This record gives sequence, C-alpha cells and structure tokens, in this order.
Amino acid sequence: MLSGKKATRYAIALFLIISLNFFIPRSMPGDPLTNLLGEDISLTASSVQELRERMGLDRPLSQQFLDYWHDILRFDLGYSFHLHRNVSDLIYDRMKWTLLLSLPAMVMGAILGTLLGARAGWKSSALRRTQTGFIMAIYCAPPYFISLIALYLLSYKQGLFPLKGFYSTGSALDIAHHLFLPSAMMTLFSLSRNYMIMKGSVLQEKGSLYATFARAKGLYDEQILFRHVFKNALLPIITLLALDFGFILSGALFIEIVFSMNGMGSLIYDALLSRDYPVLQGSFLIITIMVVSANLLADLLYSYLDPRVRWQ
Amino acid sequence: MAGIKPGSGPCAMSECFCGDGKDVRGMEKECDRPYHCPYGGILFRKVSIIGLVLFSSFLLAAIFSSFLSPCDPWDRFEPYLPPGQDHILGTNDLGQDILSELIYGSRVSLIVGFGAALMATTIGSSIGLLAGYFKGMADEILMGITDIFLMIPQIPLIIVLAAFLRPSFWLIALLMGSLWWTSTARVVRSKALQIREMGYVQSKRSLGFSHLHIIVSDVLPNLSQLVMPKFLLSIASAMIAESSISFLGLGDPSMKSWGMMINFAFSRGGFINGYWWWYMAPGLCITIFVLSIVLIGSFLEERDESIMGQQ
Amino acid sequence: MNRHLPSSSYFRPLLCIDEMYVSFDTSLGRVKAAQNICLELHERETLAIVGETGCGKSVIASAILQLLPSNASVKGKAIFLGRDLLSLGEREMADIRGQEIAIIFQNPSLSLNPIMKVAEQVAEPLQIHRRLPRHRAISKAEDMLSRFKLGDKASPVMYPFQLSGGMNQRVMIATSMILSPKILIADEPSKGLDQSLARQVMKELAGIKDEIGASLLLITHDLLLAKEVSDRIAVMYCGEIVEAGSSAEIFDEPLHPYTKALLNCLPEMGFKPIPGSSPSMIDPPEGCRFYPRCRERLDRCLLSPKMIKVESDDGDREVRCWLY
Repeated sequence: MLSGKKATRYAIALFLIISLNFFIPRSMPGDPLTNLLGEDISLTASSVQELRERMGLDRPLSQQFLDYWHDILRFDLGYSFHLHRNVSDLIYDRMKWTLLLSLPAMVMGAILGTLLGARAGWKSSALRRTQTGFIMAIYCAPPYFISLIALYLLSYKQGLFPLKGFYSTGSALDIAHHLFLPSAMMTLFSLSRNYMIMKGSVLQEKGSLYATFARAKGLYDEQILFRHVFKNALLPIITLLALDFGFILSGALFIEIVFSMNGMGSLIYDALLSRDYPVLQGSFLIITIMVVSANLLADLLYSYLDPRVRWQ
Repeated sequence: MAGIKPGSGPCAMSECFCGDGKDVRGMEKECDRPYHCPYGGILFRKVSIIGLVLFSSFLLAAIFSSFLSPCDPWDRFEPYLPPGQDHILGTNDLGQDILSELIYGSRVSLIVGFGAALMATTIGSSIGLLAGYFKGMADEILMGITDIFLMIPQIPLIIVLAAFLRPSFWLIALLMGSLWWTSTARVVRSKALQIREMGYVQSKRSLGFSHLHIIVSDVLPNLSQLVMPKFLLSIASAMIAESSISFLGLGDPSMKSWGMMINFAFSRGGFINGYWWWYMAPGLCITIFVLSIVLIGSFLEERDESIMGQQ
Repeated sequence: MNRHLPSSSYFRPLLCIDEMYVSFDTSLGRVKAAQNICLELHERETLAIVGETGCGKSVIASAILQLLPSNASVKGKAIFLGRDLLSLGEREMADIRGQEIAIIFQNPSLSLNPIMKVAEQVAEPLQIHRRLPRHRAISKAEDMLSRFKLGDKASPVMYPFQLSGGMNQRVMIATSMILSPKILIADEPSKGLDQSLARQVMKELAGIKDEIGASLLLITHDLLLAKEVSDRIAVMYCGEIVEAGSSAEIFDEPLHPYTKALLNCLPEMGFKPIPGSSPSMIDPPEGCRFYPRCRERLDRCLLSPKMIKVESDDGDREVRCWLY
C-alpha cells in the first residue's frame, strides 16, 4: 500500500522531529536546566544540583539522547513545575477538548467546503461569486480575528452566546451552548480553506476531455460534476488537504485562546506567559505527531481511493 | 511523501496561499484540454486591478509612513477615544493615535513579510533548482528534506522557538524564512525538470557549456514567472504568521506591527470593554492586505496559464 | 465497405447542416474555425469529412452537439428530425446526446474517466437515459463490451489505464452505441492507433453501425480510411468545405486543386507534399483560401468562390473553385 520509500520518509520525518525536540532546549541560549524546567521557578542550590542529576544533564549528550528516546517511548514528556503535573497528563486532559472543538468542525468544514467549492468552480453565477468573495475574505483573515469579530458581535453586543468558553464541568447542553460559536468559527475556517482548494481543482479538472465526453453521453450539468469531475478533482488534493491539517489545527489553538476555552490553545498560551518550557515542547511534539499521522492517513487513503495507485 | 505528483505538463495549477507557509497548490497537471478555455474574463481582471491598487497603497503607506501619519505613534492623547474628528480611528489605552499606529505598523508588518518571503523564495528556488536540474541523488535527498519540512506544523514550531529566544522581529522573519520555502522548492523543481529536458538546454549541455552557465542563462529566466506569484503568496503567509505570533505576545514589543496591536487590544482589555476600533483596524488591514496579494497572485498564475495554453 | 448499398440519394436526409459558422475568441484574436458549412447526412450512410489537422473539421463535430467551450460562438442551423440542434437548450441537448446522436473523441485514453471502471462508463448512458438500475445497466454494458472482444472476465472491471489505446477506443465506441443512436459522430477514431489496429477498430465500428442502422459522420485526416468506409466525402480546407461528392468520384476524378494535391500526398501517388503551409485561421487569405498554395490559380481566385453543383453520375457533386 505504502511504498517502502514513503514509509522510510515518514519514519525519518518522525525521528527528526522528535529529535529536534531534544536539541531545542539544549542548544538555546541560557542554562539548559532552565530551558528544560521552565523559568521563574525558585529552587534552592541543592535541589538545582539534584534536578540536574535527575534530568541527566551531567551525563554525556549521547546518553541523554538515548534517555530522551526511552522517555518518549514511555509517553513521558517531562514534568511541569508550574502546574505540578506530568506534561503527558496535562496534554491528555486538554487535547480532549481541543479535539472536541476541532475534529467535528474540520469534518464539517471539509464536507461543506469541498461541496460548495466544487459547485463554485463548476459554474459561475452572481450568487456563487458573492459566496466566493465572502469565503475568500475569511480565507485571508487570521482565524483569531474572525473569532474576535464574531465574539464581539454575537456575544458581546447581542448576548446570544457566552463570552467565556466552557470548562470541563457543566451539562451537555451547557457545553454545547459554549461550544457552538467557536465550533462555527472553526468550521468556517476549515471550510474556507477546503473551498478555495477544491474550487481551483474543479476549475482545472472541468476542462478535461472526460468531462466533455460525459456531457456527450447525455449527462446534464451537475450530474457531470458529481458523477465524474468531483472525485477526480478531489483525489489529487487529498494530500494537500492533509498538509493543511497542521495549519487548521494551529487555527484551533488561536480560536480557543480567543474564546478562553480550556484546550491546548490556552495551555500553550499560559505556558508561554510563564515560560513553562516542558509544556510547550510536549505540546509541539504531540501536535507534530498528530500532523504527521494525518499525512500518513491521507497518503493511505489516497492510494486506496485512486485505482491508478492501487493497482500499481 | 505527500503524494503530490510532480507532473510534467505545462499547466501549473492556480495558487492557494496557506498561512502555514505551505502553499497548497504546488502541484502541476498534464494539460489535456481539447481547447484552451479562458475563464473569468473581464470580471477577473477587474478584481485583480483592485488587488493591485490595494497592494500599492499599503506599500506607499509603509514607505511614506512619516509623511502620511497624522502624529507620532508613540505620542499620547486622551485614551480610549472612539473614532472621531481628532483621531479618525480613535486612540488606545495609552492614548496613542490608532491611525498613526496602523501606518507605522504597515512598515513593520511589510518588512517582516517581505524579508521572510525573500528568504523563503531564495532558499526554495535554490533547492528546487538543484533538485530538478541535477535529478538523481540530489533530487532524492533535497526532496526528502522538503517533504519533512512540509510536515512540520510551522506555527507551533515558531512558537516554541520564539519562546526560548525572546525574539526581535528580525528573528521572527528569519525563522519564517527558513521554514516557508517548501512549496516554492516543489514547484521550481518540477519546472526545472521540464526545462532541463528541453531541446535547447540539452543541446547546450552536449556542447559542453557549464552547468552554471546553463542555469544562469537558460533555467533561471524561465523560473521568474513561476516564482513571482510564489513570492507574493509567501508574503501573505508570513504576514498571517507574524500576526498570529504577535497575537500570542511573542512579538517584538518595541515594534508596533499590526499583530502586536491586536495583541495589546486583546490582552489589555480592549476586547472585553468593547473598544472594537482598537483591534478591528489592524485586523482589517491584515485581511485586506493578504486579500490583495491573493488576488494579484492568482491573476499572475492565470496569466501564465493562458500564455502557456496558447503555445 | 458499404459499396453494396445503393447511392446515398435514396435515403432521406437525417441531419442537415445549413450555413454553420464557428469561431473562437482567444487573446490572439478571433479564430474562424468553420465558415459557411453546408452538409447533409443521410440515413444509414457514412459521410467522411477529410482535411489536414487544424482545418476545423473536429469543430463541426463538437458544434453539432453543442460541446464547444464557452469562448466559441456558433451560427447557422443543424436540423435533426425537424429540430435545430444549435438553438436547443442544454437540457434538451442532454436528452439528444448519447441517445439520438453519439460522439466518440480522438483521444480515447483521455476521454474516459480515469478512475471509473470501464463497464460502469459504458453502462452510464443506460442509467441516465433509460433509468435502468445499476446492476442491469452494467450487465448490459458487459454484453456490449464482449461484442468488442472485451468480454473476457477481466476487462469490464478494469480501469482505462489498464487497457491499451485500441481497447479504450472500443470502450468508447461501445459507450456511444449502447443506446443505438441514429447518428454516430466519430472524431478521428484512428488517431493514435497504428494502421492495422485502426482498420480493425473501424471495421468493428462500421459493422455495429450497419447493424443498428445508424448514420456515421466520420471525421478524419486519413484519406484511405475515408475511401474504405464512407459513401460520401467532404473535403475541408481552412474552415471551408471545398469539395463534396461520392467517395468513388472524389478519388477517381478530384476536382478541386486542394483535393488533387491531397491525393498526391498519398504514398501510392508519390508522396508529393503540398507546397506552402496551412494559413492562419485568425487571418485567412482573401478570396479562395487555397489561393496562395494553388498550382492552377487564376486572377479571379482572389474573389471568394461559391460552392457550385457539378454534373456527375451520382448527382451530388459540389466544388468551391473558379475552375468549374
């Protein structure tokens, strides 16, 4: 399914990215101990020495590297001295909420975006041009800015939705009420990206000869789009959409910050304010692994869906 | 790795910028149309002229900031003034004139954007050129590296690095420039692959011209049309990213970029108190500027495509 | 191939193209791809339009079915069973396409959907026009494919990229013929296939055409192919029809200097190329389009010649030349 060459590249990518995480705190200016633990932590001289030993900073770099990998494979991402918890536990707690916000929204955005984008690329009309203009504006705006506007207009002015995001308590209805606006923003954000990509792909694809032949067979208008052009236009962009996953997920982080939601975004934001490096690094690592996995999945999906690849 | 087929056809696909620096349309496709069919037409042209006008006015604002802005962006007047007669776009919490901040901010934002884009385009073109022109092992290795870079979620990486480095805004531009080059490399590579197979390049090679001579006199000139829209879209990506990083408070506090303005408005209570003019103006500036770039960029690509379609 | 049939004038005209003009607006100017085209296609006959690549013959095929891109403008009439095809709306056109008039394109491998199984593509007209359920349409499609020696278990579940150009061409023919249309338009069916394969495919095409009693409008640059299969031939040069008549007469006694020159290009006639090059379709020559390359030109050839009827055994002989 996945060629050996590709699999190797994925393995190398993962190895390099995780290793990068090892080298960043050790190569940055400042004391590696501070870089590993985070700043503004008051420690006595003896505990500094003890921690230095516990972190293995007195050992040679190669040994540290092996230890690091050993920890990674046991899902040990270090300890946050600010939050007094294991980083992996923290991320596990927060990631749930981020995924709750972003996954359904991304799926919705992908479906609506490709459908609307395909139709906009297929045939132009005044309505579709207006729609494209609107979506293009969203596409060009930073996601947190769109969220700020929506939050100001709908929550602050109209009071339709709560100003602050949800926390892990509360009934399902309450969570839904809190989740609606950020999810809508996230959907819109993901939709705008899928829309623009799909529109371009259909524009390209609709001029091909097989589409004309489908018309010559007697297919009418959007029958041609949905029976023939759609899948052909979608296939080559599956992997592109997956590459976009990292950006859309980053967008989710910003939307969470604007809506003060209790997910990865706020975790990272707070970690930034307190320079809680272990949390930052752990988050980066997990996000990267998610993005690489999404790409891998997209690659597999592509080779499954495209008979030209499947039969090779 | 990402499964994008580096096609060899003459029709480059139209571009989509991506705020993550990975332009989503780095792919090319065989041109198999029975007849070339130009779409868009007059409306499309009109829209891209609007893009050009917007783009140049931002550029002028950045160049002539000191002439255009009504006052010094650091001068203090009455705080929290809504848009009105004295201060067209109002003032912020320190009483600074928002219009002046915006005009000076355009300089910072544009320098970061242009700097990062210039660097990204240079790196991307060089890597793509080497990979495409020399093929073989060089191609394998360089494209392998490109694919890996393509998958790193760049905004989170910049956040981590910026957190360690307490960055100046030059550093942010540098970081983005060194990450943003991947899609340019891919597109340039496939074009270079095409060019090296062309008759006149082949014959020059068999006549013993040096690689450097061929690259400079034959390959590079043919790449400029392709690289220009990529460069523009890299500016857009870099500006979105810069504003995002600034929004997190990781920007350079001594430099007022548009992103920093939004960050101040958000973190210093401008949002929660309903001072919409504080963050709305810089946000709109970013959006409109990026929009103008996308419009111009897609026009350039469209034009290339129609020129190629008629060959 | 159809020599045993009586002369074409025995049959009623099925499609009547009257003063058709096709042009394309491009950024380089207006391309006048077809000018003043008048043709009649009779029931059950095979009419070939021959001419060099780029003379506008394929444009006629696509124009009849309104398949041209949006930058094309088409004027004139194409009367099919009392209706003018060129003035029909897209919805009515869709009902005619594939059902009454089918077309096959010159590039079979690109004309088929690359990611759809061959049998499903052949079955599609049945689903669209006859509203047959999927499985029944597909089993009919497989029957049809087996007529073209593509029935061996493997082929119907295959994709176009797994088949050769010749096989894809047969798939396209099967798709076009599955609803027994009254007219089949074949646009360069032999292009890209080698000589013997082209003959083979053409033979199968002609066979099935006779069986369902369809008329065939064959568009080709291959004179010999046209001679073998067609009842009548129209010769096209630079967007105009310069000569029309029965195949036998055109070959035995060509009238137009271009037709003569074209026949001289054939290997058995000595491979003599036509001097000069094809004129621009944006800015065609004044008067007779062939004037700059013609060996027999006269002064009055700088005025546009009209299509005139010429006496012949078969009756229908026409030529656009001042010599007659």
